[in-house]
Amino acid sequence: MTPVLLATTDVGSYLPVFIVILMAITFAVANIVLTKVLGPSRTGAVKGITYESGMNPVGTARKRFNVRFYLIAVVFLVFDVEIIFLYPWATTFPNLTPHSSDSLLWLVRIMFFLFTTVVAYLYGWRKGVFRFD
Amino acid sequence: MEAPSFITAQFIVSAAVLLIVVHVILIGVAYSIYLERKISAYIQDRIGPNRVGFDFGLPVLQKLFRGFGFWGLGQPLADGIKFLLKEDYTPPRADKVLFTLAPMVIVIPALIGFAIIPWGGVWNVPDFTIPVLDWHIKGGPVHVAGAAVNVGIIYILAVAALGVYGVTLGGWASNNKYSFLGGLRATAQMLAYEIPLGLSLLAALLVVGSVWPETIIRHQVDHGWLILAQPLPAVLFYIAILAEANRAPFDNAEAEQELVGGYHTEYSSMRFALFFLAEYSHMVTSSAFFVLLFMGGYHLPLIPWLSPESTGLAAVLLKFLVYFGKVMLSVCFMMVIRWTLPRMRYDQVMMMAWQAAIPIALACVVLTSLMVYADLRGTIPLLLSNIALAGAILAVYPFFPKADPNRRVPLYGSRFNPMPGEVVSHAPVHAMAREDRPVQGTAPAR
Repeated sequence: MTPVLLATTDVGSYLPVFIVILMAITFAVANIVLTKVLGPSRTGAVKGITYESGMNPVGTARKRFNVRFYLIAVVFLVFDVEIIFLYPWATTFPNLTPHSSDSLLWLVRIMFFLFTTVVAYLYGWRKGVFRFD
Repeated sequence: MEAPSFITAQFIVSAAVLLIVVHVILIGVAYSIYLERKISAYIQDRIGPNRVGFDFGLPVLQKLFRGFGFWGLGQPLADGIKFLLKEDYTPPRADKVLFTLAPMVIVIPALIGFAIIPWGGVWNVPDFTIPVLDWHIKGGPVHVAGAAVNVGIIYILAVAALGVYGVTLGGWASNNKYSFLGGLRATAQMLAYEIPLGLSLLAALLVVGSVWPETIIRHQVDHGWLILAQPLPAVLFYIAILAEANRAPFDNAEAEQELVGGYHTEYSSMRFALFFLAEYSHMVTSSAFFVLLFMGGYHLPLIPWLSPESTGLAAVLLKFLVYFGKVMLSVCFMMVIRWTLPRMRYDQVMMMAWQAAIPIALACVVLTSLMVYADLRGTIPLLLSNIALAGAILAVYPFFPKADPNRRVPLYGSRFNPMPGEVVSHAPVHAMAREDRPVQGTAPAR
């Protein structure tokens, strides 16, 4: 069996990523510019009204919204940061010798780390962050 | 002559793959809209688009094709031309800059996400010379992928997370209540489902022990596809990518009955089309991600050309076809889901993320790491552990406290739950609303 061909670690391998980002930006900008140029352009008082199912619009949309969305963002941050820390662990932990003391140490440490997150999660649950009614 | 140092065989192959795959994906996206209309039509016992051929109303071509419709295959092209020629309207009350920026911000991540997908495995390139410039390029094994960067699949995750910004900006910039609510919903939903996505991905990575796509596929070639070893994370992952792409049954952001079009209510012409294009290319990219992680990538059992060892050009092309076929199958499955399942209610979607998907995914990660510690990384032990976990969840589930899903929500200030001291009128208050009643005398006595 041939060994797996890995990626080179030099920064030059990221060059195609910049190419594809440039391609995507060109595509997006070109489409919007083209339709601006090709399409008709008419304005009117009624046409400019905010769409509210044909009724006269009431107020503005720049309003306060439910604080629950803010809580969701905070809890998401907790979990996302946790997951980011887990990726390097997940790529190295399976390559350690199984049943070794090193392996056990890595397992217990990350389990404690997960446990802290579970505590935060349960706290959020008891506080009613995840209730949506 | 010597080529510049950054022009290697890998770079040339990467650039060529990018050029080809971008066009394959764009055409594939256009035709997957046609495919979706056809599938929905067959599910609902209709015919679907079958008229628009390739004549585009031009007399010469009409005469040539004699009204033959090509089964409606011209529909995506005609739609694209129509989108370009319609008026690109910016409502005067919208935030002009963000309103234009939002479709770009949503379509760019959707188009760059596929770069790391290993479409064709490894290709053993012979030495060759670029004719006009006379650059000698040294051959060798190269990755047939858009970009062979060593962050591997972390790149897809990082790029996919950027899609949230376009939705948020589009909802905010429109200055429309439907758009705003749709943007809020979509943002919260995409944030919530990113966590089970990442966790179930971790459960797969723990078995493989690498983020490098080639290693993931090699592991699945040697030990069997990961969907067999890890069915529970695979299902969670699929649910999460459905919710990330705002697809049914999680398309609450654009729930027509409630929010008209959601965050793209105020958009028209190509900017509206870019939102659609982003949704469909998101489907393609995340399906490719799913195929890479759980469905063995380009591998099919019993076909020797599809093993990682065969690195000829024919094998690469065959691998590309197999990979793309698997991706299209997954996309078709998403469409069948959309047209057979009803849309979930928004609170159910969010509760499913936070109270079901995330704990189960966490349990999967813990279980998988224990199995890895015990050196039980084969398909059979992992499958058994997954079955045991599913059984445990089903056994514990009845003991959890339950809320009636159809209870009346205590929304303070509504007419069912008035604020303390508030007088609630059940009859129409406004004079105009009273006048609207067709028959006199039917209004309840006040």
